[in-house]
Amino acid sequence: MNSILLATLVLFAISSFYFGRSKIKKVALVRSIEPKALPKFYGYYQALWCSIPAFLIISFWTFFEPIILKNLIESRIQSMSLNELSKDELNLIYSQIVSFSQGTFTGQISNGIKSGVETYQSLLSVSQGAKIVLFFCAIIIASLFSFNQINKNVHARDSVEKIFTIILFLSSAAAILTTIGIIVSLLFETIQFFTKINPLDFFFGLNWSPQKAFMSDPANMTAQEAKDLREAFGAVPLFAGTAFIAFIAMCVAVPIGLYSGIYLAEYASNKQRKWGKPIIEILAGVPTVVYGFFAALTVGPFFRIIGENLGINVSSESALAAGLVMGVMIIPFVSSLSDDVINAVPQSLREGSYALGATKSETIKKVVFPAALPGIVGSILLAVSRAIGETMIVVMAAGLAANLTINPLEATTTITTQIVMILVGDQEFTSAKTQAAFALGLTLFVLTLILNFIALRIVNKYREKYD
Amino acid sequence: MKNKIKAKGVSVFYGEKQALFDVDLNVAEKQVTALIGPSGCGKSTFLRCLNRMNDVIDICKVSGVIEIDGENIYDKSVDVVQLRERVGMVFQKPNPFPKSIYENVSYGPDIHGIAKDKNHMDEIVENSLKQAALWDEVKDRLDEPGTGLSGGQQQRLCIARAISINPEVILMDEPCSALDPIATAKIETLIDELKSLYTIAIVTHSMSQAARVSQYTGFFHLGKLIEFNTTDKLFKNPDNKMTQDYITGRFG
Ligand SMILES: Nc1ncnc2c1ncn2[C@@H]1O[C@H](COP(=O)(O)OP(=O)(O)OP(=O)(O)O)[C@@H](O)[C@H]1O
Ligand SMILES: [Mg+2]
Repeated sequence: MNSILLATLVLFAISSFYFGRSKIKKVALVRSIEPKALPKFYGYYQALWCSIPAFLIISFWTFFEPIILKNLIESRIQSMSLNELSKDELNLIYSQIVSFSQGTFTGQISNGIKSGVETYQSLLSVSQGAKIVLFFCAIIIASLFSFNQINKNVHARDSVEKIFTIILFLSSAAAILTTIGIIVSLLFETIQFFTKINPLDFFFGLNWSPQKAFMSDPANMTAQEAKDLREAFGAVPLFAGTAFIAFIAMCVAVPIGLYSGIYLAEYASNKQRKWGKPIIEILAGVPTVVYGFFAALTVGPFFRIIGENLGINVSSESALAAGLVMGVMIIPFVSSLSDDVINAVPQSLREGSYALGATKSETIKKVVFPAALPGIVGSILLAVSRAIGETMIVVMAAGLAANLTINPLEATTTITTQIVMILVGDQEFTSAKTQAAFALGLTLFVLTLILNFIALRIVNKYREKYD
Repeated sequence: MKNKIKAKGVSVFYGEKQALFDVDLNVAEKQVTALIGPSGCGKSTFLRCLNRMNDVIDICKVSGVIEIDGENIYDKSVDVVQLRERVGMVFQKPNPFPKSIYENVSYGPDIHGIAKDKNHMDEIVENSLKQAALWDEVKDRLDEPGTGLSGGQQQRLCIARAISINPEVILMDEPCSALDPIATAKIETLIDELKSLYTIAIVTHSMSQAARVSQYTGFFHLGKLIEFNTTDKLFKNPDNKMTQDYITGRFG
C-alpha cells in the first residue's frame, strides 16, 4: 500500500517539477516580470511542496497507526473480558488478531478473537481510507498553495535552499543519534551486567569461563554458585590476548609498512609509485574473512608442521598465525598513511639538508623522518586500533581458549572473539553471559575511541604545522 | 680580482623547456655578486647550478662548464656531497629543520664529522651563530625549536647553518623576500660582513638591495645573461639598453 502511494508521490513530484518550472516562465512572460530565481528553483519549489506534506502523512501513519490500533483493540478486549487481563495476555491476543486478519494464523480461534478480528479489520479500513484521503488532500492543497506562491513570484531559491539545509541537517542528526543510541544501549546493558558482576572481578579477574555461569536466583544462590559466578567473568585473559595479538600484528606491520612508506615517498619513481601504492592498498581491500581462512587453513597448519619437525608443540590455532596475518592486513594502513605524512614534509627541508652536503639517506634519517614522526606515530596508533577491533581473523585463527599466556605458539583469545562466541546461537537476553558481551563491546569501544582520538589529534596537529 | 667560480656556456633544460641559454658568468672571490632580472628569467636556476642542487630535480639537464677553483664541478669524478660542503646555500623561504636551534647548526658539522668532541661542537655552533649575528638573541634558548624563531631570525639561523661547515661559497636565493625591512637590513649588514670570509652569490628582486650589497651584478632576461658588470657601472651607466630599461623600471 505504502509503496504504491510512494510511487505515486514520486510521479507527482517529478511532474510538479516540470510544471513549476514552466509555470514561472509563463508567469514571467505574461506579466513581463523578472523571476526572482532561476526557473529550475521554481520547479524544485513546486516539487517539494507537493511531496513533503504528503510524505509526512505517510510516515505519520506508518508510525502511529499500529500503536493507535493496538490501544483501541486492547481496551476493547479488556472491556469485554470478565476478569483483569495481564499485559502479556493482551499482547498475545492482539498478535493473534493481527496474524489472523493477515491470514497467517493457523490455529483454532475463539469467538472473542473473532469479534476482535472484525473490529480490527473495520478500524484498519477506516484508517487506511483516511490515510489515502489525507494523502491526496495534502498533495492537492500544498500544490495549490505553492502554485499560488509561484504566481506571486516568491523567492523560490531561498525556500528551496532552506529545505535542503534542513534535509542535510536531519541526515547528519540521524547519523549522530544512531551513534548515541548505540552507545546508550551498550551502556545500559553494561550497567545491568555490572549489577550482577562486580566490575573489579570483570576488569581484574584472571579467569574467563562464562559457560560456567548459571544464573540462579540471586536471593538463594549457594556459596559455590556465587563463587563460580564471580570467577567466570575475569576479562584479563581477553585483554591480554587482544593486546598480545595486536602486538604481534604491529611487529609485522610497522617495520614493513613504514619502510615501504618511506620507499614509496622518497625513492620510488613516479611510475613505481603510481603502480605500487594501489597494489599495496589492495591488501586493505581483501575481505577479512579471506585473511581469516588464510590464517586458519594455511598459516596455522604451516606453523604446526614446522613446529612438529623442530619438535616444538605448536597448536594449530595460535596467536602467532593470527597476529602475522593480521599484520599483513594492516601493512597498507601504516604504509599509505606514513607515505602521506612523509610526502607532507616540505621539499624545502630536504633541499636545506642536501645543500649542507647530506646524502639522501642522511636526509631521510635525520630530517624527514623526525619531521614526519608525529604523523607516523598517529598512523601507527590508528593501525593499533584497527588491530584490536579486528574480529574475523582472530575468530578463525586465534582459538577460543582463554589462556593467559605469552607463548605465541599457543591458542589465545581476544575480546572480539569472545563477543562472537557469546552471541552466536540462542541467547537469553537477560543472562549475565549475554550482557558480558555488551560489557566487552563497550570496553573495546572505549579503547578504540581513545586510541583514535589521540591518533587524530597527533596527526592533525602535525598537519597544521606544515600547512 | 681572482675569480672563484667560472661558468662557461651553461644551458639548462627542464624536460623540453630550455631555462638558461649559454650563460658565461664569473663570481669573484670574497666579493658579493648579485643576480637580478624579471621573474622566471632563470636566476634561481643558475644559482642552483653552482652547487648542483638541480641534480635533485629529475627532469633538469645541465650542459656547459662550471669551474670552482679551476675544477669542473660537473665532472664525473666530482663528489656532490663534497661540492655542497664547499658551496653552501640559503633559500628564499627560511627553512630551519624542526629541531632545536643548536641542532640546526650542529647538523652540518655532525654529518661531515667536523667536530672533534662536544666542546668543539659547542664552539662551532657559537661561532656560526655569532657570524650570523644571531648569538645574542638565542644564546639562552639553544634548546628551543628553530621553527619557533621569527622569520628574520630563522633566516639568520639558516645562514648560521650554512656557514657552520665553513664553506668557501655561499649562495643566497632571495634571502630577504620573506622578511620585513628591519630584518632585511640586518641580513644586508650581515652579508657585507660575511664577504670578507666567503664568496657570495645572491639572487634578489630588489634593485636597491643589489646596489647596496654587491660589487658585481648580472642581469638576466628570458634565460640569457644580458649584461654583467661591476654593480657601480651596471646601475649608473649600463652598457645595454635593456638593462637600462629594467633598472629604471620600464619593464619587469
Ligand atoms: N622544477 C622545475 N621544473 C620545470 N620548470 C622549471 C622548474 N624550475 C624552474 N622552471 C622554469 O625555469 C624557468 C626559470 O625559473 P627560475 O626559477 O630560475 O626563475 P627565477 O628567475 O628564479 O624567477 P623568480 O624571480 O620568480 O624566482 C622558469 O620558466 C620556470 O618555469
Ligand atoms: Mg627564483
